[in-house]
Amino acid sequence: MVTVLETRDLKKHYRMGASTVRALDGVSLTVEQGEFVGLLGTSGSGKSTLLNLIAGLDRPSEGSLRIFDQDLAQMSSAELSLHRQKNVGIIFQSFNLVSTMSAAENVALAMMFAGVPRREREGHATQLLDAIGLGGRQTHRPRELSGGEQQRVAIARALSNNPHLLLADEPTGNLDSRTSREILTLLKQLNERDGKTIIMVTHDPALAAQYAHRTVTMLDGAIISDLAGSRS
Amino acid sequence: MTFRDTLGLALRNLGQAKLRTSLTTMGVAIGIASLAGMVSLGIGLQDQFVGRFTKSGMFDAINVMPGSVGQITFGPGARGRGGLGRRGFGRGNAAQVPDNARELTDEALKELAAMEHVKDVYPNLRVPVEVKYRGESEFAVAAGVPMGVRGEGAFQAIPYGRFFGGDSENACMLSLDFAKRINDQDPKGLIGQSLTLNYAASLNGTMQRAEMTCPIVGIVERETGPFAGAGGVSGLMVPMAKAKEIFASSLATAQALMRDPTKTSRPYPSAVVKVKSAQSTQDVEEQIKKMGFSAFSLNDALQGAKRAFIILDIVLSLIGSIALAVSSLGIMNTMVMSILERTREIGIMKAIGGSDGDIRRIFLIEASAIGFFGGVTGVVLGWIVGRIINLGANIYIQQQGGTPGNLFSLPFWLIGGAIGFSIAISLLAGTYPAGRAARLDPIQALRHD
Repeated sequence: MVTVLETRDLKKHYRMGASTVRALDGVSLTVEQGEFVGLLGTSGSGKSTLLNLIAGLDRPSEGSLRIFDQDLAQMSSAELSLHRQKNVGIIFQSFNLVSTMSAAENVALAMMFAGVPRREREGHATQLLDAIGLGGRQTHRPRELSGGEQQRVAIARALSNNPHLLLADEPTGNLDSRTSREILTLLKQLNERDGKTIIMVTHDPALAAQYAHRTVTMLDGAIISDLAGSRS
Repeated sequence: MTFRDTLGLALRNLGQAKLRTSLTTMGVAIGIASLAGMVSLGIGLQDQFVGRFTKSGMFDAINVMPGSVGQITFGPGARGRGGLGRRGFGRGNAAQVPDNARELTDEALKELAAMEHVKDVYPNLRVPVEVKYRGESEFAVAAGVPMGVRGEGAFQAIPYGRFFGGDSENACMLSLDFAKRINDQDPKGLIGQSLTLNYAASLNGTMQRAEMTCPIVGIVERETGPFAGAGGVSGLMVPMAKAKEIFASSLATAQALMRDPTKTSRPYPSAVVKVKSAQSTQDVEEQIKKMGFSAFSLNDALQGAKRAFIILDIVLSLIGSIALAVSSLGIMNTMVMSILERTREIGIMKAIGGSDGDIRRIFLIEASAIGFFGGVTGVVLGWIVGRIINLGANIYIQQQGGTPGNLFSLPFWLIGGAIGFSIAISLLAGTYPAGRAARLDPIQALRHD
């Protein structure tokens, strides 16, 4: 087993005026390659903060955070952007597509930052969108797509630089239940067929139990339970 | 991220906000147009001024004097040497004569003529003579005129008669005033008449009265100017060779040679060195000074005028820069607005792997693209406005009886410089917004609506 993620006593403190908010207060978590982890908790439990730290969008206050044996706490901002480019693909609740770009351009944008030549990234973007069931929607702008379709574009974008680790922050939070199941089925497929390690933040224990191998529950910045879930 | 992709993304972003981009670009264009227009006006005026004076034949001439009057300098160079009293006019100041001081002998003139960039060398010769015409006589100074000044300065157009046919032609020319003094009613009628010139000569040590008859071949209008030999006009003019003949045989020469037996000929009091082009005047002047002569030229004054034009250019460009300063604030404003609008997009780009540097470069390139397009448009705009003003001004100048010319000059360096400057200013204006965009916290930016 290859360890993808390992945190030791990870802390993230924010200063809010005079008081200090302990968003993460000593989290130790290990994720192996090929796992599908559901990260549960109420809002303010620290699950999104943990995901942002793993994504390299934020820096830990204390503790270690190793991804593929590289310590994110020690990285410069340029190294962090490389980490976001190569190691992780991020999927957001609100899709976060660039509204002025077509589906294909949104997918290609991530490869542009990675320095992939134009022809190659255009070809790869088409391929990814085809594979994800959006073959006919390449040139559509986000506002011309349904929520489920937008999230598929975002997933294609997350996959574009072929990362090992997918991070999903409430990926179905803005979708109806039918579309939610489609998206989660797609993620499960990516996990089982393509071997992607997935960490998914959700506040819905039923969804986590249904699709994830393992559910980690957080409360007040700490992990309160870590269970191997049932595989359906 | 490659430069090409950054450029593509930047241009794309500009294209997304066409109205705002074109308004900002027009702002820059107007700033550049006013700056380029002002500088172009400064250059145009300078060209007009310098061009006209250079054609007058005054700026390619260097007046050379013996080194013993070395301290007499004209123009700005003299100021550094202290007050008037120290310039060597006083008799007690012999110590200031340079060690290698030389006199203007025929050999020295040949040496000067052999220098690089030198077109012609001739002495400034003015010999006193008694002029007789139909029984009346008066004393005058006959100036030697070299053949080289034919067609230059005052000799460009000769109202009556012609220029000398050859250097040793037995002939003289008169200025129009001098001719009128002889014959007020019909100066033109003097052409073909002869004057008799008398001067005191020394022949084998005895003083004699020499006489020379010379027909009047031309009458020239006097042009105001201090240098007779450099193309100006004296009352009475004879060919240079004739003047030399009179000079060599004159009593004054004999007396001078008697005082100093080491000399075989009497040195000239001053000479004129003509250079091939006015640009080399200064270099040649410096060399002549090093050779042990004293030299000055109107080029010194021209340098002063050029300095004045530089100040004019600076003032004009400062006026022009005001518009550019305003438009650079316009760029800043546009960029800050655009960052505010695109905050979420910047967050997305960072989240999917865009580095701070990538974001900064995208915005810097957007700013410089505005600068580039604004610069190009501005130069074109400035040129058009300049042509229109020029057209109007020339109509007015012609009505006033002046010669029309180009008041605006737009050399290639100004075109390139204006566009380059526009890009540089825009980059500068974009630095702060681009830095702000690069420093955005991705998490905050992604929460932004």
